[in-house]
Amino acid sequence: MDTKQDWSVKFGEIWSAQVAQLREKFHSAVEQVCFPQDSSTDVPIVYVKKEHLLDVLKFLKTEHGFEYNFLADLTATDEGKEPRFLVVYNLFSISRHARIRVKVRVREEEDVPSIVSLWAGANWAEREVWDMFGIKFEGHPDLRRLLMDERWVGHPLRKDYPLRGYQIFETPQPAHPELLE
Amino acid sequence: MGLDGAQDSKSGLFGYLTTRLDYFVNWGRKNAFWPMPYGTSCCGIEMMSTLASGYDLARFGAEAVRFSPRQADLLIVAGIVNAKLAPVLRSVYEQMGDPKWVLCLGACASSGGLFNVYSVVQGIDTIIPVDVYVPGCPPAPENLLHGLMRLQEMVMRGETHTQRRIKQSKRSRSKQV
Repeated sequence: MDTKQDWSVKFGEIWSAQVAQLREKFHSAVEQVCFPQDSSTDVPIVYVKKEHLLDVLKFLKTEHGFEYNFLADLTATDEGKEPRFLVVYNLFSISRHARIRVKVRVREEEDVPSIVSLWAGANWAEREVWDMFGIKFEGHPDLRRLLMDERWVGHPLRKDYPLRGYQIFETPQPAHPELLE
Repeated sequence: MGLDGAQDSKSGLFGYLTTRLDYFVNWGRKNAFWPMPYGTSCCGIEMMSTLASGYDLARFGAEAVRFSPRQADLLIVAGIVNAKLAPVLRSVYEQMGDPKWVLCLGACASSGGLFNVYSVVQGIDTIIPVDVYVPGCPPAPENLLHGLMRLQEMVMRGETHTQRRIKQSKRSRSKQV
């Protein structure tokens, strides 16, 4: 039902108006925008500068007419070139049933601002990205590994991690002291 | 009766009472497995189906499912075992009292299945000794029943890992004496 064409018909004009508004407000912080009609994406992708990420996301979440108030997903990709990583924020507007995607380009040694202050649900998603890609989130309240064992060496979803890089531990992962209290 | 053939062991090579007792005890063991289910994925669903009334594992005396390893003697590992889960499975096995048996259900538990990646244990026999492997992805309940019957035969013949280990330790103890 919700195909790419349907979405373009339904939201095409709204999206271009919103992106124009974003560009007007944040100027050069919006690096690049890909629209569904001229690239292989289903929703517009807004590439923003890392420094303005929090501002842009807060604007998208709260501004009247935007209201992308639901963080549908937060993930990352390893591009294998400089800048190495893309952190991806998939936003959804519960009131308007519209979607938009925000991406940030990150170099290997760089941190990304945490968005836990905006969406509490980003907590575990950012922990997963740290676990899988080794991207640090600045200001995250509790940045521990989420899926892998805490004694694991490396970050498995990085392209240079060996597919069969098994690490088997003899004993279960020690419980976190805070959880034992 | 299950005791048919007991006279086969009257060869005189072993002590009369001991062999008879072993035979009798094994006969009891094989008809009263207390399985501990370790279902982690779709194989677990097949195991539940086998335990339910349609296939009725109780016909083989193995319906007393225990969720504590200390009360169980048959560990049924049904499904994928992740690297993070490996030490947990190991400690579950170690908590079971002797004699204990392990039945490995499905491709994932037996060999890692199609998940030949960093996060998956490539066969639980890298962590614990396995007596019976049941192939399939997932195996049908009939396969599990067949595996269980094979295990019963093995227990009867004393071919399982635990029984061999116990036999060996007894032998070395008698040598010391």
